[in-house]
Amino acid sequence: MKIGKRKAHAHVHESRGDIMFGAVIAFILIVFAIATAIPLISELAVSLSSKTASQMNRINLLPVEFTLDSWKYLLAKGGIWKPFLISVTSTILGVAIALILNVLMAYPLSKTEFKPSKYIMLFVVFTMIFAAPKVPYFLTLRTYGLYNNYWVLILPHIMTAYNLIIVRTFFKQFPKELEEAAMIDGCGKFRILFQIVLPASKAVLATVGLFYGVTMWNQYEHPLMFINNMDLFPLQMKIRSIVDGGSELQAVTMLQDANYTQATLSAVAVVFAIIPILIAYPWIQKYFAKGAMLGSVKG
Amino acid sequence: MKTAGKRKRQEGSLTLHFRKYFPYYAMMLPGIIYLIMFKYVPMMGSVIAFKDYSVFQGIWGSAWSGLENFKKLFEYPDFYRILRNTIVLGFIKTFLVFPIPLILALMLNELRNAKMKKAIQTIICIPYFISWVVVGGLVFDFFGVGGIFNNVREALGMDTLLVMQKESWFRPVYLISTIWKESGWGTVVYLAAISSIDPSLYESASIDGASRFQKMRYITFPLLVPTALILLLLNIGNFLTLGFDQVYNLYTPMTYSVADIFDTYVFRVGIQEAQYSFATAVGLFQSVVGLIMVVVFNKIANKVSEDGGLW
Repeated sequence: MKIGKRKAHAHVHESRGDIMFGAVIAFILIVFAIATAIPLISELAVSLSSKTASQMNRINLLPVEFTLDSWKYLLAKGGIWKPFLISVTSTILGVAIALILNVLMAYPLSKTEFKPSKYIMLFVVFTMIFAAPKVPYFLTLRTYGLYNNYWVLILPHIMTAYNLIIVRTFFKQFPKELEEAAMIDGCGKFRILFQIVLPASKAVLATVGLFYGVTMWNQYEHPLMFINNMDLFPLQMKIRSIVDGGSELQAVTMLQDANYTQATLSAVAVVFAIIPILIAYPWIQKYFAKGAMLGSVKG
Repeated sequence: MKTAGKRKRQEGSLTLHFRKYFPYYAMMLPGIIYLIMFKYVPMMGSVIAFKDYSVFQGIWGSAWSGLENFKKLFEYPDFYRILRNTIVLGFIKTFLVFPIPLILALMLNELRNAKMKKAIQTIICIPYFISWVVVGGLVFDFFGVGGIFNNVREALGMDTLLVMQKESWFRPVYLISTIWKESGWGTVVYLAAISSIDPSLYESASIDGASRFQKMRYITFPLLVPTALILLLLNIGNFLTLGFDQVYNLYTPMTYSVADIFDTYVFRVGIQEAQYSFATAVGLFQSVVGLIMVVVFNKIANKVSEDGGLW
């Protein structure tokens, strides 16, 4: 966002009131940002604290009796890596499939000279405004064999009208001359799409890919409905079961030499789930902002 | 003779059309099949709301029951409770949370220190990308025994409060968690709208001796009102689709009475308890009312601004 620039010369004379105003606003925003960060910092502190500190409710913003024991236990024996891998692979695979499907669908829809595109757009937009009720949706997908099936983490999320419209809007703005020149050279429509249009569409692909990726990574409702086999749990389901504290976890925390509690282990799980988001955050921030803009431009 | 010739020409142009655009049809085919399979067939499955669904006979084979499920629905006291909860939580999300991103964006825009601005924006946006499962975990830990909330209460000499198990606290928690997770991201759209405001407006206001607050109040704010209004209208259209994940990860059996919304109710009754036909009637009611609202408010949004609606 390039908001800072124009201000530079707009405030030659800064009155006292203006300086006060700026200070008050900065103060409020800093307080808001700190308040946003507190639950995260506190969770990190709990995850790094000892059993007694946790049992005595002594942990606020800093670790008390710092220890990595909770982390060591959960990462080594918590059974968190398999769900993590399931989430990673299904997200990567899902984004790849989603991008191919969306690009193929959006390209013809971006062509005004292709008359049926108008009707197919209606067909697409209707899915955005009328959602199938959950129960027939569940029953239908179950008849497809998606119950307790890895693919239920992917297939329901590979095309949304909203994202499709973003890609289509982008294709609409692609300079026609380039495509026409390629056509005169005898390129077919598939080759134009893949060799001329797509290489110039990296930004929109990154944006939409991230939209799909975040949805798939964070999804909870579909696995909750469709997966009851623990071997197929994606990360979010695993996190929820750790936070809920199953009997297995309770037994473990009861052990004499265990330097962790239900609270510290669940804190580890929560922080563990946030780390990948933080790692991807620079890209997420960059491309999501672009997407928010693209989404507001209709084609 | 004339008509025959015309038809022949039409047929010719149709084959020409297909020959020319065959690749386009081929490209769209997977997407169309996908939408039919995953969106339209489940929609058709809604007919079981008018049937007495039996697992063995399936969606299409089950016997018709007319409006029986809907009758049951409107006689059911639970229905009005869920409707009320959905409306109350929708109101919180749509109207109470709504102004906060706008205010945050106006304030962020006033920050002169670019680094500080970037840092604050980064921090307040992070929660948007965290799943509701994880946010639920954070909320439970924050408000639970040994969480900061109760530690502070204890330091002030107050009793421990089991916030997440208290009916009276569910709505405040819902409000706070929504603000925490979503308001930071909401500022992005407003900041983009602010960046497209003509700088000369501010310059001439400065020459006229306007203070910073006056510029914010009389230039930036009025120019954001159309954007805000459109976002509000689109949000009202989506009033009934609050999102399953948030409520499901924040409620407890003790707070069902105030927290249960259509989405969570349908999940528990329809999918966990397998009352398929009845839950479909509930879901269909929600979808149809939702459809009407989206269409109406989209129309209004289009009236307010030429390019305002979703379509």
